[in-house]
Amino acid sequence: MQNFLQLSFTALQIGAVYILFSLGLTLIFGVLRIVNFAHGQFFTLSALCASVAVPWLAALGLPVWAAYVAACVAGVALTSLFGAVVYELGFKRVERDMIGSFILSAGLVLMIEGALLKLFGGGVRPVPPLFEGNVDVLGVSVASQRLVLCAVAVGLTVALTRALGTTRFGKALRAVSIDHEAAMLQGIPYRRIAFLGFMAATAVGAVAGALIAPVAAVTPTLGDSYLVKGFIAVVIGGMGSVPGAILGSLFIAFIESFVGFHFDPSVANLAIFVLVMVFLLVRPKGLMGHD
Amino acid sequence: MKRNHIVCCLALLAGSSAYGPLAAAQDTIKLGLSSPLSGSGAPWGIGAQWLCKKAAAEIAEAGGVNVKGKTYHFACVSYDNKYNAADGAKVAQALISKDEVKFIAGSIGTAPVRALQSLSERKGVLLFTSAWGASIKGPKFPLTFTQMNTTNEIAGPMTQYVAGRHPIKTVALLNPNDATGQEAEKIARQAWEAAGVKVVSSDWYERGSSEFQPVAAKLGSLKPDAVDLCSTPPADSGLVFKELAGMGWNGVKVVEVGTGADGLIATGGKAVEGVYLGAAVSLDGPNATDHQRALDAGVRKATGDSINAVQIGTYDAVYALKAGIEKAQSLEPEEVAKVLPSVRFRSFYGESGFGGEKTYGSPQQMLLPVIVTQLKDGKLVEITRLPAGGQK
Repeated sequence: MQNFLQLSFTALQIGAVYILFSLGLTLIFGVLRIVNFAHGQFFTLSALCASVAVPWLAALGLPVWAAYVAACVAGVALTSLFGAVVYELGFKRVERDMIGSFILSAGLVLMIEGALLKLFGGGVRPVPPLFEGNVDVLGVSVASQRLVLCAVAVGLTVALTRALGTTRFGKALRAVSIDHEAAMLQGIPYRRIAFLGFMAATAVGAVAGALIAPVAAVTPTLGDSYLVKGFIAVVIGGMGSVPGAILGSLFIAFIESFVGFHFDPSVANLAIFVLVMVFLLVRPKGLMGHD
Repeated sequence: MKRNHIVCCLALLAGSSAYGPLAAAQDTIKLGLSSPLSGSGAPWGIGAQWLCKKAAAEIAEAGGVNVKGKTYHFACVSYDNKYNAADGAKVAQALISKDEVKFIAGSIGTAPVRALQSLSERKGVLLFTSAWGASIKGPKFPLTFTQMNTTNEIAGPMTQYVAGRHPIKTVALLNPNDATGQEAEKIARQAWEAAGVKVVSSDWYERGSSEFQPVAAKLGSLKPDAVDLCSTPPADSGLVFKELAGMGWNGVKVVEVGTGADGLIATGGKAVEGVYLGAAVSLDGPNATDHQRALDAGVRKATGDSINAVQIGTYDAVYALKAGIEKAQSLEPEEVAKVLPSVRFRSFYGESGFGGEKTYGSPQQMLLPVIVTQLKDGKLVEITRLPAGGQK
């Protein structure tokens, strides 16, 4: 029972970040009908910004938590700005063009990763711990820092899903995602919504990057493994589906946690790939995908 | 007509002066490097790159490499092998076919090095490697030399030493699931068993992984007295120990071929206190020389991490190559390889040479002491120096 609880907590903690990452991917797909492989680089840029800004602000005398909050805001703002430039110069011209967007985003991955390597170097950049110590939850020991980051990620996910379901902008995004032509006929400004949707998705990815920075090895290649997992989560959940991305992320996190425990982390990775193949064969549109 | 001749002469003069640097370039010996310059292994590659250039500059300043009355200078050419076989193969082609390098002064990672070795041995290129895999050594590879202590040298003495200091009955092992990890695991397992410690589990993870919570949960649930992360890079090791600490485990922490403290602390924070490392170098003690400290400062500036044995291997290889080339009085890799086992050269640690014939079947292992270090109060402290295993 103890192991089951420990693994469930582990899965929820991992899953919280996967959810934020995959929400960004699925939003972009929903609105623009493209797969943005460079999403991992936006995630990484934000984490790298946090790794630079937190020690710098802490050295200026700010408490670590305040330095971290300020660094997160700066990282998300900078990444969103960069996302806006990338959208205006690139993705705007290839929306709803799978092949064009694939080539563009694959090229962006190489270009951004190379630039980040030049700018930040290849080494691991430390982010000071926000909270020290462990807490006992239902008899399971959990690092306080992990618990707080997980709570923030869950809170953000709930807020985002509520915003998508209840706000005017969220409804417009969903309408465009389901049928952009019908949405335009209803007076929804597609261009504006597409731009804002891309920005929102990039910002969500950036938030995920900033959140994971204190508990990860922050390097310019950090986003690579998250991209693979996030993409699989979106495929399993259904491309463009927000609840699907959440389900897919949790599914992957539970597989990673339980299979990794009972077998091996390598076997867990293998199991994830096998399962995504099965999903593509049995349910090509994913759990909650639509045409 | 006369004016045309003058113009032609001037053009010839200009042309010959333009060829000046090319003529000088012929006196350069290119040294190739295949190492990770990105990802969690990047500090090894970036540090090795810096040390290669530093050793080349020191040798140039001291008069260069003298062969048959001619002076040569070393120049380092490096590429990112990303610690995987596919990129290792690309780097091999770039170094050997494009840059026509005849000497590789440093190569890191068993999988990329295997890719490089398959070409270097065939094309007659002399290869120095820090790769820990035992399968890339031996009489089958006469042009390959190992430039640092590997798991074979470190595991036996290190595990005996740690098991003697702590009442350890059980140990759990974790390794990357690539060639380096697979070879390191076999040797580490034997070493712990020989020290009378039961190996309760041995797990694998994908290099480049970002989440270590699940495997930490597994390791922690077994409640081993010790956890040995064997060939896991420092940054990944820090994450694993942090997750283990978060789950309440607090046993003896070992990274047998652990190379650096700063990478560990960067990701592990206070959770890495007390970790034993078998391939790190501490220069805080009174025995460290000014030269060693200067090299450490240079590596710190380049990588943000302290100097370590993987990087030092490249520095030592450059000096070994100088000694070998001068003894052979030849720039032919085969000739240099023949004399290398008999040369003595100035290494980072002092005078050194090659051995390991009993273990590998040929004397191609650089002879170096095993330096056991431990993290105490966030600082790397040298605990003891032990004779390397199997180096007779």
